Amino acid sequence: MAHANSSFCGSSDHGVSRRGFLGRTVFAGATAFAANMRVMDALKNPCLAAELKRQQKSVILLWLGGGASQFETWDPKPGRLTGGPFRAISTDIPSVQISELMPKMAQRLKTTAIIRSLNTRNADHGGGTRLMETGRAMEQAVDYPDLGALIARELGRADSQVPDYVSMYSETEGRHKGGAGFLGARYAPTFLTESMIPPNIRRPDSMSEIDHQERADLQKLLAKRFADKRYDPSVASHGMAYERVRGIMASEKLFDINMEPQSARDFYGPTQFQEQCLIGRRLVEAGVPFVKVARAWWDSHGQNFETHLELCADLDQGMSALLDDLQQRGLLESTLVITLAEFGRTPHINASLGRDHFASAWSCTLSGCGIKGGAVYGKTDEDGHKVVDGEMKSGDLFATIFEALGIDHNKEYYVGARPIPIVDFGAKPAMEVLA
Amino acid sequence: MSTADPTKFKIAKTVRVKGIALCITLLPGTQRLVFGSSDFNVYELDLAADKPQPVEFTGDGHQSYVTGIARTADQVVTGSYDGRLIWWDAQKREPVRSINAHDKWIRDVISSPDGKVIASVADDMQCKLWDAATGNLLHTLVGHLTMTPHHFPSMLYAVAFSRDGQLLATGDKVGHIAVWDVASGKKVSELEAPVLYTWDPKQRRHSIGGIRSLAFSADGKLIAAGGVGTIGNIDHLDGPSRVEIFDWASKQRVQEISDTKFKGLVEQIAFSSEGNWLVCAGGDNGGFASFYDSQTGKVLHQDKMPMHVHKFVLNDTQDTLYASGHEQIAMLEFKADPPPSSPLPADATTPSN
Repeated sequence: MAHANSSFCGSSDHGVSRRGFLGRTVFAGATAFAANMRVMDALKNPCLAAELKRQQKSVILLWLGGGASQFETWDPKPGRLTGGPFRAISTDIPSVQISELMPKMAQRLKTTAIIRSLNTRNADHGGGTRLMETGRAMEQAVDYPDLGALIARELGRADSQVPDYVSMYSETEGRHKGGAGFLGARYAPTFLTESMIPPNIRRPDSMSEIDHQERADLQKLLAKRFADKRYDPSVASHGMAYERVRGIMASEKLFDINMEPQSARDFYGPTQFQEQCLIGRRLVEAGVPFVKVARAWWDSHGQNFETHLELCADLDQGMSALLDDLQQRGLLESTLVITLAEFGRTPHINASLGRDHFASAWSCTLSGCGIKGGAVYGKTDEDGHKVVDGEMKSGDLFATIFEALGIDHNKEYYVGARPIPIVDFGAKPAMEVLA
Repeated sequence: MSTADPTKFKIAKTVRVKGIALCITLLPGTQRLVFGSSDFNVYELDLAADKPQPVEFTGDGHQSYVTGIARTADQVVTGSYDGRLIWWDAQKREPVRSINAHDKWIRDVISSPDGKVIASVADDMQCKLWDAATGNLLHTLVGHLTMTPHHFPSMLYAVAFSRDGQLLATGDKVGHIAVWDVASGKKVSELEAPVLYTWDPKQRRHSIGGIRSLAFSADGKLIAAGGVGTIGNIDHLDGPSRVEIFDWASKQRVQEISDTKFKGLVEQIAFSSEGNWLVCAGGDNGGFASFYDSQTGKVLHQDKMPMHVHKFVLNDTQDTLYASGHEQIAMLEFKADPPPSSPLPADATTPSN
């Protein structure tokens, strides 16, 4: 169930061989996968499935819905009128300071890279969310998959008995399921909102456990007899789908933090977000390649500083506990933890002591797998109005994320006959933050 | 004795300032204001000047927003989110004493009516009483919870002395009020105003509000607590301005004023010296000032202010209000008309010759 602790991420040796492998499979895939992506299934390529299984990498996206302020988190401007009242504090990386609202993360930057130069130009909640979920602007003709679906597609194991993509979004404001787009429903998220236990995965009370097992055994027997006389990957896929459903039905306990000792729960903290971070760790440990934990709602048009006093305390505790726990379990080198939102917040402080939407110069972080800890990429001006170095667009961020995970950012999918690059046209990874 | 008539409320003067003027006091017998700013500085502004210009205090000042200011016999004391209290020579505009007073943000600083005691409240959820002359700590008042019921850090926003200086009230984020005996430092009563705290458990899962202002009535029997009422969308200060008045001894809430005409936080409250009205000011993106009958809660007069008001100070005759707020200082007058003079004798208008 657990990831092998020896899984590698970031070594140049591995990177070359993995990219070489992926390059070959992509080349093969250009022919083999030139079918409509809606019916494509990784199971049709056993070599790829095996490679992906070997990688055993995961992503946990901490989605700061509504738009956290870069000033109050990763790019403080102390002493400037735009900077607000908070101090900048030293970190475990000399010369790097972050907001005093993130004291625990300040001692964990050795695992984390800060990107301070996002210029994504869309300061609307809906448009910004879509942009930062998919890494590119919307297009009428193509329904692009979100990051979770892409990662599920790339890192999900065909034989996995756990979901490939779990998305937790408990607050109702800005709640957005995201989706698999042209990748198809196979990569859509298991979307948890009201309850942290996936709905409809329990065996109906009207069916006994014995009856359930006997039906499964009968299905297996019939399927084996059918498959023995046919060599067809789709038959195998059909059988795996049943196994997968049974696996997911058995995965209910993964979502139950009561299975954790009280000390572990205390380590993460008592808030809903902190508990969901713990669930996130349980899921990646069990092999779920993509987990999104949304912590909304940071849209602090009024009382920005009061809002960030609360929400940053929540984030700082939950994120630092998650990184520590992953590290202690040997999972951090194979798990990429991202903090991201749809945009940041304005330098100008309005009359309600709030900050409004701002997408011209804002921040995110990448921790763990494939990341050069302590790196700071990009720079904003002294008041935080604009990016003055290392401007990064959403596509560039996605390219960086993919490269950190060992996924070739030049990869292409095909929708019908149309090649679709996995990241936006022209996007490039920020090599400076990659290990 | 007040010479005020709230219905005569009008803007007399405004001065634009850099940043956000978060607190203000008035030097006695003058129109010289001292205010603290979001640019971390303290300024003097003489409204009697032809062209009033803020003059910066110098020396080792604050390192964050200056959020509280109090007047002593011959000095002013400021408090800041940097946790420090600084005593300033108001004439020289230089610091004379600095104390690391609190571990977290200082939210307000006030002086007792006789100017001998300074009270500071901070997010360490402590109220500290200081000897205004020496800076010695007299009492640390501990009685507010450090965390909200929802596991977030709480805040201690508001503090007020009774007019005789014997009592002190403190108010926090979740709507808890403590009343203290100043001499002993003992808690003598507790009140609750939970509607002033909005916790959104579902849509946004954080909170807004809190008790932002407190005031004792002139006779010391009533305590008014101000803030904002329940907010639907806590992204904004889009809730009714709200004042609750308590008979603190009996713990009875005697008035609830929920005003939807002007929304946002009630940042400061003052009772008239006769006890017949109280004035509140604050705002959301805009600002307001409202006068209420303190017995009935009815509106006597209310008006827009030129900016969100963070604090105000009344003059001794309570007919002029000096407000500090978002990028402006404003002077508002509400002077009663002079009483009609006695009719002159008929022959007084008759030429003598």
